[in-house]
Amino acid sequence: MNKVKATFCVVIPLLLVYIFNTKFGAVPPLLKFLNPFTGFWQNAEPSGIGLNHKVVLKGTHDRVEVVFDDRMIPHIFANNDYDVYYTQGYVTAMHRLWQMDFQTLFAAGRLSEVVGSKAIELDRYQRRMGMVYGAENSLKGMMQDPKSKEMMTAYTEGINAYIHSLSKANLPLEYKILDFVPEDWTPLKCALLLKQMSAVLAMGSDEFYMSNILKKYGPEVTGDLFPDYPFREDPIIPKGTKWDFKPLSVPATPLAFNQMVTGDIRTKQKVDGIGSNNWALSGEKTASGSPILENDPHLDLTLPSIWYQIQLHAPGLNAYGVSLPGAPGITIGFNQHIAWGVTNVAADVLDFYQIKFKDNTHKEYWYNNKWNKTTERLEKIKIRGSHTETDTVIYTHHGPVVYFQKPEKLSRADNVPSGHALRWIAHEKSNELMTFYYLNRGKNYSDYRKALTYYTAPAQNFIFASADNDIAITPNGKFPLKWKDQGKFILDGSDPKSDWQGWIPASQNPTVKNPPRHFVSSANQSSTDQTYPYYINWEFSSYERGKRINDRLSKMTNATADSIRLMQSDAYSIFAENLLPALLSRVDNNALNATQKEAFNIISKWNKYYNAKEIGASVFDLWSARLFFDIWDDDFTIRGIPMRYPSRDRTIELILKDPNSKWFDNVLTSKKETLTDLVNESFKYTCDSLEKKFGTIGKNWEWAKVKQTHIPHLANIPGLGSKTLMMGGAKSTINALAEKNGPSWRMVVELGKNPKGHGVFPGGQSGNPGSPFYDNMIGTWSRGELYDLYFMQTPNDPSAKIISNLHISNK
Amino acid sequence: MVFIVILIASFLLQIIFPWWVIVIISFVTCGLIGKTAKISLWFPFAAIFLLWIGMALFKSIPNHNILAGRIAEMLAVKSWILVLILTGVLGGFVAAISGICGYHFRKAVLCKKTKSGQHAG
Repeated sequence: MNKVKATFCVVIPLLLVYIFNTKFGAVPPLLKFLNPFTGFWQNAEPSGIGLNHKVVLKGTHDRVEVVFDDRMIPHIFANNDYDVYYTQGYVTAMHRLWQMDFQTLFAAGRLSEVVGSKAIELDRYQRRMGMVYGAENSLKGMMQDPKSKEMMTAYTEGINAYIHSLSKANLPLEYKILDFVPEDWTPLKCALLLKQMSAVLAMGSDEFYMSNILKKYGPEVTGDLFPDYPFREDPIIPKGTKWDFKPLSVPATPLAFNQMVTGDIRTKQKVDGIGSNNWALSGEKTASGSPILENDPHLDLTLPSIWYQIQLHAPGLNAYGVSLPGAPGITIGFNQHIAWGVTNVAADVLDFYQIKFKDNTHKEYWYNNKWNKTTERLEKIKIRGSHTETDTVIYTHHGPVVYFQKPEKLSRADNVPSGHALRWIAHEKSNELMTFYYLNRGKNYSDYRKALTYYTAPAQNFIFASADNDIAITPNGKFPLKWKDQGKFILDGSDPKSDWQGWIPASQNPTVKNPPRHFVSSANQSSTDQTYPYYINWEFSSYERGKRINDRLSKMTNATADSIRLMQSDAYSIFAENLLPALLSRVDNNALNATQKEAFNIISKWNKYYNAKEIGASVFDLWSARLFFDIWDDDFTIRGIPMRYPSRDRTIELILKDPNSKWFDNVLTSKKETLTDLVNESFKYTCDSLEKKFGTIGKNWEWAKVKQTHIPHLANIPGLGSKTLMMGGAKSTINALAEKNGPSWRMVVELGKNPKGHGVFPGGQSGNPGSPFYDNMIGTWSRGELYDLYFMQTPNDPSAKIISNLHISNK
Repeated sequence: MVFIVILIASFLLQIIFPWWVIVIISFVTCGLIGKTAKISLWFPFAAIFLLWIGMALFKSIPNHNILAGRIAEMLAVKSWILVLILTGVLGGFVAAISGICGYHFRKAVLCKKTKSGQHAG
C-alpha cells in the first residue's frame, strides 16, 4: 500500500473543506457562503407572490391573525396583550432578526465576538460607559411593573419562537457574511436596545472641552463666547407661557472648581445636531376642523431601516405606527383617538466628575471629606479567534471611571476626560416601556400626561393631538434638579454639593396645552424662554428650523395633510437668510477670478433654498463652514488642550453685531486680519476646492451632487446600502437631510372620527437585502411623498390591500 | 454514471447536510466507480458546476437577481453573472479535486491488496 499517497488523497479534500468553510479576515467562508443550498442564494426572496401561512406557536394563548399589506407591513389582531406582543416579537424577528441582534451586540460591547479584535476598543468603550450596567438597572425597573414585564416576556418569547424555527439555509444574510449564528433573545437585550437610543441621543457632552476653554480664556471670555441662552431663539414652549406650579428650591451653586484636563486631541468643528421636527395644529387651523400632527425624527440613516411599521390590535388597543426592532410597543404613531410623536431634547443629563484617588490601586476616593471605597465591575469581552479579555471598571457612587488611559484611535471617546467618573441618566433604573404602553392605548389629554410620567431617558419633546381637538407638547424626561450650569463644566467629584440632588417633578417639566397660536412645535431648540425656573441645559440646537416651522405655521390656515407634507420637504435656510447679506457685502469682486466671479453671481441670486439643483447652496454651505473655521480655529485648536468652537448662533451674532471683534484676527500670523479678510479668503477657498473636487462650475456643483446623500448598510457592508440619492435639504432647514442622516420616519396624522395616517421611511419593512421589500420605500421617501397608512379595524377590513396572511394558533 | 450519481446524491444530501457533503460524495463515488483519472476529475466538476448553477438560478431568477447583484457589488465584481460562475466553478473545483483524490486513494489502497496477495501466495 502506498501510505503516503493514500494519506495525501484524504488530506487534500479535508484541507479544501477547511479552507472554504472558514472565515479569513473580512472574507466570508467562501463555499459556506456561495453554495446555493445553504449559502446566500437562499436569501433571494421571490418578488410578488402571496402567502397564506398557518403556523403553530405553542407560546401563544389564543388564535392570532396577522395580515401583511402591500408594503409588507404587519397588522396584528390578537385576543389579549400577551399574544399581541408575542406576535410583534415574532414578526419583527421574521423581518429584522440580524439587525436586532447586531444592534444589541453593539450596545453590549460584544462586537469582538463577531468581528474579532478590531472591535475591541469600541467594546471596551461601550462597557466602560456603563451600557450593560445601565441596561441591567433599567431591566429591574421594567420587570417591576407586571404590565411591562408581560410585554417584555411575551416579546422575547415571540422572537425566540422565530429563532428556533430557523434552519441554516434561512439564516438572515448578514449572519452568513459575518459567519455567526443568532443566540436566544433575552429581556436584557430589549433594555440594551433602549440604552443604545440613549447613547445615540443623550450621550452628548462638552464639559471636558468647556473646562479647558474656561482654564485657557477665563470666565469672562467663556461667558461671552459660550452664553447660557442664545442670541436668537424661538423656544418650544412659546415665550411668555406661564408656569402654573410652585417650583422646588434649586440646590446652591458650590464655590468655583476647575481643574485643567488635557489630552492630545484636535478640535472638531461642532457638528450641528441631527435635526428632528414635530408639530401639531389644532382644528382652528385645519380644513377639517380636527387637529393634524406631524413628526419626522432624524437619525443616522441605515439599511435595514431603523424603524419597523406595525399595527397592534387587541382588546383595549388599536394603534398604528413605528416600533424599534427589539422593543415592544409603538414608539411613534396614532390610534383612534390620539396621535403622538417625539424629537430629542438636548438635556444635560451626562456629567463628568473629577475624582481624587488615594493611590494607584484606585480602591478609595475622596468624597465628603473622607475616603470612600470604590467598587469593581469585571467586564468579560470575548474576542473571536483569541482569548477572552477581562476589563476591570472602577465605580464610584457617581458611576464608572470611564478611562484612566484613553484609547488612541477611538474618536467617540474624545470628549471623555481621563480619571473622571461618569454620571449619566441612562444608568438609572427606568421603565420607558410604560410610557408607550399608555400612549398606545391613550384616549385623551389626561392619558397623555399620565403616560409621560413614566419616562426617563433619552428625554424627548412629546407632541400630542387628540380627536377632542386638544394639542400639547412637553419636553419630557427625568431631569436632575441642578444648580444653573451644573455640568457645563467638569464637576468636583469630592463635593456632595456637586451631586445630582433630586429631580425636577415630572408634573413641572415644561409643557403647553392649546396655546393661543393654535399650534405646537419642536425642532430640538431651547425648551423654554429664560423664565423657566429650572436648568435643563445651557445649549440646545440652533433655532433656525424651529423658527422656519413657526413662521410657516403661523401663516397657515385651512391646513390639509398635503400642506403639512409639503412643509416636511421645505429646505429654506434661515441660517443663510441671517448670514448671507453680511458676507456678500464684504466680498471684493475685483479680486476674484472667473470661476469665483461666476460663483459670486450665482450665490447673490440664490433663493436660500437648499434644493437639489441649487449651486448657491453648495457654495454657501462650504463657505460658511470655512469661514467659521477661519474665525475660530486659531483660537480653539491648541495642541494638548481639547476644546470646541463657539456656537453658530454666537458666531452669527459676532459677525452681525461686532464686526471689529478681536476674534477675527488670526493669532498665528503677524498681520492683523479683519472679518472682511476672512470672508474673502473663505470664499476663494470654497470656490477653489469645489472646482478641484467637482470640476468646472456648473451642473457638477449642484447641491445634491456635492452633498451625496446615501443610506449605508448598518454594518457598512458594500453593496447592501442605497445608491447615492439626488436630494435636497440640509441641516438647519426643516428638511434636515445631510450626507448620511435625515428623516428616519415621516408621519402626518389627520385626527377626527376616523383618523387618517400618512407615512414613509427610507428603506423597507424587510431587513433582508435579498427582499423586494428591503428598500422599496426609498423612492417615495426621496420624492417627499407619503403612503396612506392602512388603519384597519378587522383582519378583513376592505380598505387595505393585503398580500399575505399568517394564522397563528397554539395547537 | 459518475456524473449522474454525484448529481443526484449531492442534490438530495445537501438538503440535510452542509455543503461539504459534496466532497464526501465525489470522493466516495470516484473511489468506488471512477474508471479513469479523467472521469474522476471532470465528471464531479461538471455535476456540481451544473447542480449549483441550476440551484442558484432557481433561487435567483424569481428574485430578479436583486440579491446576486448586491453580492457582486460586495465582492467587487462587475456583474451577478460572475458571482454565479464563481459559485459553479469553485463548487466544481472542490468536487473535482475530491473526485480525483478518491480515485487515487483507491489506486493506493488496491496497490496494498495486490502486495498482501503476493505474500499470501
